Amino acid sequence: MSWIPFKIGQPKKQIVPKTVERDFEREYGKLQQLEEQTRKLQKDMKKSTDADLAMSKSAVKISLDLLSNPLCEQDQDLLSMVTALDTAMKRMDAFNQEKVNQIQKTVIEPLKKFGSVFPSLNMAVKRREQALQDYRRLQAKVEKYEEKEKTGPVLAKLHQAREELRPVREDFEAKNRQLLEEMPRFYGSRLDYFQPSFESLIRAQVVYYSEMHKIFGDLTQQLDQPGHSDEQRERENEAKLSELRALSIVADD
Amino acid sequence: MEPKEATGKENMVTKKKNLAFLRSRLYMLERRKTDTVVDSSVSGDHSGTLRRSQSDRTEYNQKLQEKMTPQGECSVAETLTPEEEHQMKRMMAKREKIIKELIQTEKDYLNDLELCVREVVQPLRNKKIDRLDVDSLFSNIESVHQISAKLLSLLEEATTDVEPAMQVIGEVFLQIKGPLEDIYKIYCYQHDEARSILESYEKEEELKEHLSHCIQSLKKIYMQEGKPNLLDMGSLMIKPIQRVMKYPLLLCELRNSTPPSHPDYRALDDAFAAVKDINVNINELKRRKDLVLKYKKNDEDESLKDKLSKLNIHSISKKSKRVTNHLKILTRGESQVKDNTFNREEKLFRALEKTVRLCVKNISLCLQHIQDAMPLALQSVMDLQEISYNKDDEMGYSETLSNALNSCHDFASHLQRLILTPLSALLSLFPGPHKLIQKRYDKLLDCNSYLQRSAGEESDLAKKEYEALNAQLVEELQAFNQAARKILLNCLCSFITLLRDLMLVAQQAYSTLVPVPLLVSSISEIQNQVLEEVQNLNCVKENSATFIERKLSFEKKKPVQILPEMPRQTDIHRSKLLSTYSAEELYQAKRKCNATQEYDINLLEGELVAVIEQKDPLGSTSRWLVDTGNVKGYVYSSFLKPYNPAKMQKVDTENRFCDDDFENISLFVSSRPASDSVTGTSESSIGDSSSSLSGTCGKFETNGTDVDSFQEVDEQIFYAVHAFQARSDHELSLQEYQRVHILRFCDLSGNKEWWLAEAQGQKGYVPANYLGKMTYA
Repeated sequence: MSWIPFKIGQPKKQIVPKTVERDFEREYGKLQQLEEQTRKLQKDMKKSTDADLAMSKSAVKISLDLLSNPLCEQDQDLLSMVTALDTAMKRMDAFNQEKVNQIQKTVIEPLKKFGSVFPSLNMAVKRREQALQDYRRLQAKVEKYEEKEKTGPVLAKLHQAREELRPVREDFEAKNRQLLEEMPRFYGSRLDYFQPSFESLIRAQVVYYSEMHKIFGDLTQQLDQPGHSDEQRERENEAKLSELRALSIVADD
Repeated sequence: MEPKEATGKENMVTKKKNLAFLRSRLYMLERRKTDTVVDSSVSGDHSGTLRRSQSDRTEYNQKLQEKMTPQGECSVAETLTPEEEHQMKRMMAKREKIIKELIQTEKDYLNDLELCVREVVQPLRNKKIDRLDVDSLFSNIESVHQISAKLLSLLEEATTDVEPAMQVIGEVFLQIKGPLEDIYKIYCYQHDEARSILESYEKEEELKEHLSHCIQSLKKIYMQEGKPNLLDMGSLMIKPIQRVMKYPLLLCELRNSTPPSHPDYRALDDAFAAVKDINVNINELKRRKDLVLKYKKNDEDESLKDKLSKLNIHSISKKSKRVTNHLKILTRGESQVKDNTFNREEKLFRALEKTVRLCVKNISLCLQHIQDAMPLALQSVMDLQEISYNKDDEMGYSETLSNALNSCHDFASHLQRLILTPLSALLSLFPGPHKLIQKRYDKLLDCNSYLQRSAGEESDLAKKEYEALNAQLVEELQAFNQAARKILLNCLCSFITLLRDLMLVAQQAYSTLVPVPLLVSSISEIQNQVLEEVQNLNCVKENSATFIERKLSFEKKKPVQILPEMPRQTDIHRSKLLSTYSAEELYQAKRKCNATQEYDINLLEGELVAVIEQKDPLGSTSRWLVDTGNVKGYVYSSFLKPYNPAKMQKVDTENRFCDDDFENISLFVSSRPASDSVTGTSESSIGDSSSSLSGTCGKFETNGTDVDSFQEVDEQIFYAVHAFQARSDHELSLQEYQRVHILRFCDLSGNKEWWLAEAQGQKGYVPANYLGKMTYA
């Protein structure tokens, strides 16, 4: 390949057809994007499960702190309520842990495994690129001799160069063909691979949240007087607060 | 007379009803006053009842006037019956006058109140000026008005159409004393504040105008009535207080002028006491409040300068006295005034404060975590969906998910509004009582110290102050604690409800997404299958020889190609080296070294080499040409150390016995690449991490049992770092990692390089440097 980029009047022979190159770029681009996505997703899933765990831990702390307070010792109503709350929170934590384990097993680990395939793909692409370079170099050499006057030594060299070129070209073409054929298959395999993970993730969430809903639903029924809406409670709180503010012992600013 | 009596009885019945009605009204008013937001429906209802009571009253007035005019003369005539004694007559006449005065003044007072409500309070209320708080100016003047109306009607009932000898005024007061006290307590309690509020209002031009406008219209009415005694708003506001203070005087006078034989005498006596009590109670309440306010204000808005200026000898001695007293109590269980109710309430108060504080902290932390976790989870679900399905298959999930995201935000704002805001507000109310509790302690100490020294007047004062403070605290702390507990409970209930709703929303959001359920095991099965296919795909690609190598190294597999070209040094080589080279030329590899350049050779730790040339072809002395007995090549000199059998033994023992853990770790590492089988399995298991994990677990377990037996036979258990092939009957073949029991640490000739080992019932010599110490590694 000539190093002078614009040789006027000498249209360079395209050794790889443009359509092939475009196809290759497209397929490889898709895979690169997929690699980026899986990597990001793996990180995000980790973050998400960590956040989930932190959430349930902090929820448990709420009830634990309440339970350890001397306030509960004297107040039977409060004690029973806080105990129920504590049980619910602990169950939530346990379920959450289970969910996270499940996600770890069915989502994060498969993601990791899938991600481990990409380096070899990248390497294969790199090898193809190298083969292409070699191919171009040798092709340029052949072309150089072809342009020269066809004297004896030149012909000999031309012959030699062509001999060198052939295996390199075959190597490249084999690699190129292989990649072009296999990249779409690889890309397509992600569907079969990740759909179960996706379904499992959704299922884990659904199971977790329905369980949670049940737990907290039971808890509200157990604790709450029926017919107490949020608005009522809010109003009651307001009333109590202004009652408190009206007390002379409370500093009013 | 007959029908009149009947109406009288009827009135009595309605009167009782009215009284009950009045009580409930009273509470309503109290409640309404505390509401910051005056509900329009409530005020509407309120004005309705007010109007009704007014109409009641006017009706009554008419009736009254009809009766009063003839009765005045008639009753006078009746009292002057000839059978009465002169004294009695005089008394009764006086009594009559007093009763009249009582009723008349009550009527005037009621009139004043009515005018005040009609001309001042109602118009101001209707104007609905934001900055003008009518409630705080006149507090419960409407109920004052009502109780006064009630009192008047009762008084009139008691006097109208009743023989003077049978008129029982005291009973009226006794009947009404409960609501009377409650209502006037509230009014008087608020009055001081109302005064200061009024002052502040009068500083503002606009508000002042409103007020003076009302006063003017009121003055006009008074002028028409011929009573130009109204001065200003303040005098209007103080009227109820003046009135309540008048009751005891009137009743006292009335009793004094009532003959003891009169049926009213005892009742009046009781009524007088009751009314006096009311006044005392009101006073006490005010005093307590003043005290509380005084101490509460103590620390607020006080600069350092103020504090310093207050620091005089008196305060210092007071403080120091308190400290000593406190110490006394601590050390000697000094008898002290105790109030169990207070102690209980204080404990409760502190516990509540702690709980509320922790709740606020924990719940907001939890909220933060939820806010972090939910969107993250939803985001990752969406991302996973994106790579799991073709873009063309529109699943329409993103909408439901963004809905769920919104509901998460809703949850946060609800939580903020329903729980965190009230709790924070509650938390901000705690410092005030705290300060007072502290003050109460101080006062208690003062009181105690005076008690000990029994200083009459001071002790009295201190005791009074303490008691007032204590009473106020006990009363209000109870209210405080109850309200705070209620708020806390409410907030917790709200929290649970909110959590439940959140869970429901999340469940619904995810449920809309759920496809066919799958088992976990089948998931991994399917995925492994797919992955295998993919890997096969790549393997096909990697048929080209160069690629395999590069790919393997890229995947960080151990360079296996070294092994075939570089077999390990065997004892044959070793002995050959020992025989052909002199001791100075012999070196030993300090640690494992890998070939980095062409013509380099690999050495394992402890391998013996003979140095042929102490430089490389380029003349660098850092690389030496060495002979391992079977190959020659270059090695970095820094990896080598002079070979010294004796010293090496020492170093070895040092390493083995002193530095065991470290040594064995390094031995493990160095041995790894050499052992084909182990590396093979561990590499292959990388693909399937779970199985490899369980594999290593198994190994650890076996190690564990080894350790046990090792401790039994002291320190004579070693393991083979490298495999060793016996060359004769005297030697013992070893498998890698095989455990051996060392019987003697030298051979028959005393060479410490060879140890007598026993393994699986066989005995034989093995090279010492092939062995590693068995430790818990």
